[in-house]
Amino acid sequence: MLAVESIGKHYSGKAALQSVSFGIQPGEIVALLGANGSGKTTTINSICNLIDFELGDIRFEGISIRKDKSYLAQIGAVLGGSRNINWRLTASQNAQYFAALRGHHGKALKARIAELEDQLGLAQYAKLEVLKLSTGNKQKASLLSALSYSPKLLLLDEPTLGLDFKTVGDLQQIILEQSQQHQQGYLITSHDMSFIDKICQKVVVIDQGQVIFNGSIESLKQKLFAYRMVINLPVQDHLSVSKSIEELCFGHYHIEQTQEGFNIQYETPDQVLALLSWLHTSNKTIGDLTMTELSMEEAYKSLTTGDKEV
Amino acid sequence: MSWWLLFKNEVKLQAFDMRQYWFETVASLVVLCGMFVALFYGVKSFAFEGGVGQSLDGLVFGFLLWAFASAAYMSVTRTVVDDTQKGYIEQLFINPKGFTAILFVKTMVELLSALLFMTLMAYLVMWLTGNWLDINFLRFFLVLIIAAPSLIGLGLFVSGFALVFKRVDTIGHMLALALMALVALDGLPFGPLSFLPFTPGVSLARDWVLQHSNLNLSDVLIVIANSAIYFAIGSVVFKHFEKVAKRKNLIGQY
Repeated sequence: MLAVESIGKHYSGKAALQSVSFGIQPGEIVALLGANGSGKTTTINSICNLIDFELGDIRFEGISIRKDKSYLAQIGAVLGGSRNINWRLTASQNAQYFAALRGHHGKALKARIAELEDQLGLAQYAKLEVLKLSTGNKQKASLLSALSYSPKLLLLDEPTLGLDFKTVGDLQQIILEQSQQHQQGYLITSHDMSFIDKICQKVVVIDQGQVIFNGSIESLKQKLFAYRMVINLPVQDHLSVSKSIEELCFGHYHIEQTQEGFNIQYETPDQVLALLSWLHTSNKTIGDLTMTELSMEEAYKSLTTGDKEV
Repeated sequence: MSWWLLFKNEVKLQAFDMRQYWFETVASLVVLCGMFVALFYGVKSFAFEGGVGQSLDGLVFGFLLWAFASAAYMSVTRTVVDDTQKGYIEQLFINPKGFTAILFVKTMVELLSALLFMTLMAYLVMWLTGNWLDINFLRFFLVLIIAAPSLIGLGLFVSGFALVFKRVDTIGHMLALALMALVALDGLPFGPLSFLPFTPGVSLARDWVLQHSNLNLSDVLIVIANSAIYFAIGSVVFKHFEKVAKRKNLIGQY
């Protein structure tokens, strides 16, 4: 449905996007991950026609968006750092307005808005201006406007920002339902990894304007380190331990030396068994030793920062 | 999608807004008229014999022209500046018809409501001051409609800057004051003042609508030319800044 084809964008000589490519199929929920300033918003804004990208192309159902803007009728966007809707009006007045901009009107539209209001849990606030709603309900009101004209593709920039646990859960439910019922594609950026983990089938990770990963969420997890071991011990032992780690650990792992000792990130538990055994037999005084399973967010940070630090 | 639907949509939006915030609408009308009535009696108490009636008529008429001129100028800036501040201008760009189409329709709706309000205000002010003017409103509207594009051009000019530089409140305020001067000047007969925006329209309205002189075709052409030139300049400047904003990712980043 959507194909982003090696798009590139520069701001005053600095590359904001370099050859970014990925695709979204109908009914597919894709996560766009990256640190602040990595190019997520620039990518979303390019798809929305809010930015002129210099290189590459974006195709919607095979047609270049440079040539034909009619695809915008099929785009629903909830942008980050923007109110998205007119807070002086009610949620449904907004939805009516924005749907009419795409040619929707009449009873069918009103019925759809009422149905969505029910699903989003906004029905009880129908008479209130958006201004008077809570943060979570404001977010839902923006979503109501974006969903009201049943677009084929929804772009949600940081939809969970400032929302409580329960509302995030509601949002997950709504997105899953909508994408399945209407075969809508979703592109979602978020810092909330558990949110992404629960609803997205595909992940695109972008760093400094480049795609550094594009695949299923499972394959991303496989690529990331799964565990971290922290060993703290007296400074005089650091050299010998460092040597032993290099001798005894195998496979793909990453060591970081700290003032207290070492942080080792690795993929499977057996990678560090020999090291543990050596620590036991060599009678080192161990100040602290912890082994933890990394959350996806922690693991994902190590992917973007490479081998520098954790 | 028809233009008619877009038009209806904007009218509905305005109606929603006005219904929910009717107090704001009424209050601004009352304050504006109140201030003018105070000014009117102030001037009246100073004015002595000789053409007093004429100058008072001119004052009331000038006020109406100014009220319309500000509304016409703001019809564009309101969309760009207010909708940026209200935080949904991006959504107006994400639209198959394009932002310019939406802006055009919004401007038309604002202009029509400006005409409506001005008529309402005319009767209100004439009643409050007891100074009844013999105005042919059909003529008045005709002149305003052909003169308004110059003010829209001015609005587009300022809005273009607003897209990129955001804070243009000062220019906006200054222009609102400048409009007071513009409606007091004579852009006809043809002279240097004819090159200022809206001034020929002001003169044409004063001559043809208020003083019932005969309509002169060359005057009408001057008004149209004035409108066309300012509208063209405004459009070019706005289009340019729209491009800059899209290149530099500035749309909406308030």
